[in-house]
Amino acid sequence: MTTQDSNRGSVTIRAENLSKIYGDFAALHSVSFEVRRGTVAAFLGPNGAGKSTTMKILTGYLAPTTGRAQVLGFDPSDPDQRIEMSRRLGYLPENGPLYADMTPRETLEFVAQIRGLGAGTRSAVDRVVSQCAIEQVMSKPIAKLSKGYRQRVGMAQALLHDPEVLILDEPTSGLDPLQIREVRQLIRELGRSKTILLSTHILSEVEAVASEVIVVGEGRLAFAGSLDQLRAGGTVEERFYALMDRKKPEAA
Amino acid sequence: MSSRVPVVGALFRKELRSFLGNPTGYVFLTLFIVASASAAFLTDTFFSRNLADLATLNQWMPAILMFFVPAVTMGLWADERRSGTDELLLTLPVRDGEVVLGKFLGALGVYTVGLVFSLANVAMLAYLGDPDTGLMFSTYLGYWLMGALFVAVGMVGSMFTGNTTVAFILGALGCAGLVVAGMAPWASALVGLVLLAALGALMCNVLLGRFAAIGALVGALAGVGLWLGGVPWFIDVFGALSAPAHFASFGEGLLRLGDILYFVGGTVVALYMCTILISRRHW
Repeated sequence: MTTQDSNRGSVTIRAENLSKIYGDFAALHSVSFEVRRGTVAAFLGPNGAGKSTTMKILTGYLAPTTGRAQVLGFDPSDPDQRIEMSRRLGYLPENGPLYADMTPRETLEFVAQIRGLGAGTRSAVDRVVSQCAIEQVMSKPIAKLSKGYRQRVGMAQALLHDPEVLILDEPTSGLDPLQIREVRQLIRELGRSKTILLSTHILSEVEAVASEVIVVGEGRLAFAGSLDQLRAGGTVEERFYALMDRKKPEAA
Repeated sequence: MSSRVPVVGALFRKELRSFLGNPTGYVFLTLFIVASASAAFLTDTFFSRNLADLATLNQWMPAILMFFVPAVTMGLWADERRSGTDELLLTLPVRDGEVVLGKFLGALGVYTVGLVFSLANVAMLAYLGDPDTGLMFSTYLGYWLMGALFVAVGMVGSMFTGNTTVAFILGALGCAGLVVAGMAPWASALVGLVLLAALGALMCNVLLGRFAAIGALVGALAGVGLWLGGVPWFIDVFGALSAPAHFASFGEGLLRLGDILYFVGGTVVALYMCTILISRRHW
C-alpha cells in the first residue's frame, strides 16, 4: 500500500481508506496510499478513475465520506488545520481554473494578498513569472490567453508562496509537445526540493517525471509503489493495462 | 470564527473591480440611477404633493432594488462555480465565512456606489425646495440597509447554481418575497409556503443527505395546512417579513431599533445561509 523506500523522508501525504459517495455513486472506494517527503509521485489512472476526487479531498476542497486524509500532518477536513495546510501547499486544480477578467499580474497579486505575502509579493511574483515563463502575457486578460499560457499561470499561482508540497491535477493537460517538455522539466526541477503529487492519464509522463506511482481505476487503488516496482513485470504500459484489466486492489 | 481583514479586503477589492471594470456594471448602475430618478420625479404625485421629500421614490424603491440588486449579485458565486474558480479560491488559506463576507462587501460596495450617484435625487430636491437633512439621512440609511439585505438574499440565490441567469431569477424571487410579504394575506401565505418548503428541503439535505424534493413537499404541505387551517399566526409571522413595512419608518425620518434589527438581522441570517451553502460541497 505504501511507498516502501524507508530511506526517503517522513510521510508528507497520506490517504487512509478514502471513500467518496455521491448518492448511489461511489467515486472512491477505500483508497489508501502514502507519499514521502521529497518524492515526485504520479497519480495514474484513466478519466473518471477518481484522481481529481482524491486531490480535491487532499486539498480540503471536498470532505471524504469516510476515511482520513493528511498532508504535512494536517487534516484537510478540519477548517483550522486546512488553513495551516494550505499555507504550505500549492494546488493546480484540474483545467487550471482562473478568473477570466483578470490579468496574470492581477491574479498573482490577488493570490499574494490572500496568502499574506505582503512585502515579499514583488520578489515572489518575479520568481514564478520567470519559472513559468509568462513575462509576455502579464498584462493580458486571462480570457485572451492560450490554454498553454493559462495552465502556466495556474502553475505560477500554485508556486507563488514557494510551498513544501505541490498537488498538480493534470499539469500538462491541453499543452502542446514543447510546452509539455517545459512543464515536465519544471516539475523535475521543483521535485529536487519539494514533495509533488501529480495526476495524469498519460503513461509516458509517469516515467518522465515520477519516482513513485499510484494507480487507480474505477475509484479503487490498483497499485502503489515505486516506478521500478511497477516496471518489474514489464513496461509501464503493459503493467498499467494489466492492472486496469484486473481492477482489483493490489499492494506493492 | 474570526475573520482576517486583509483577506476579506482582497476579496472585496476583487469583486468591486470585477463589477466596475466591466461595461455591463456601468449599464446596471445607469439603469438604477435612471429608474430611481424616474420613480422620484416622473410622477404626478411628486408635484401635486408639493413636498421636498422622496415619498414617491420610497414607494418604488423596494421594487427597483428587487431587480437591480440580484443583477449585481447573480455572478458572485454562480460565476465561480461555472468557471471552476471556486476550487482555486476555497483551497487558498481563506475560510468559507471570509469568502462570503468579502463577496458580500464587494456587492454592497457596488450598490453603495449606485446609491451615491442617486444622491442626485437629493440635489434635485434641494434645487426645487428645501429638503429636511435628517429625513434625507434616514431615508438613505433605509435604502442602504434594505439594499444590504437584498444583496445577502441575492447571494443566497447565486449559491444554488452555476448559471447566472438562474441565479438572477432566484435572487429576484427571494427579494420579491420580502417585497410582497405583508401586501395581502395570500401573498404572506405564499411566502410562508415557499420558506417552509425550502426549510423542509434543507432539513432533509442536512439530516439525511437526500430526499430534498420530498422535504420541500412536506414543508409546503405543512404550510398549506397551516394556511387553510386558519392558524392565526401563520399569515402574521410571514407578513412581518415585509421589507417595505420595515423601511416605512426610515422614509418618515424615524430610526426605529426594531426596523434596524430587521434589516441587519435578516442580512446576517442570509449570510449565514450562504456559508452553509458554500460548505455543502463537502456533503
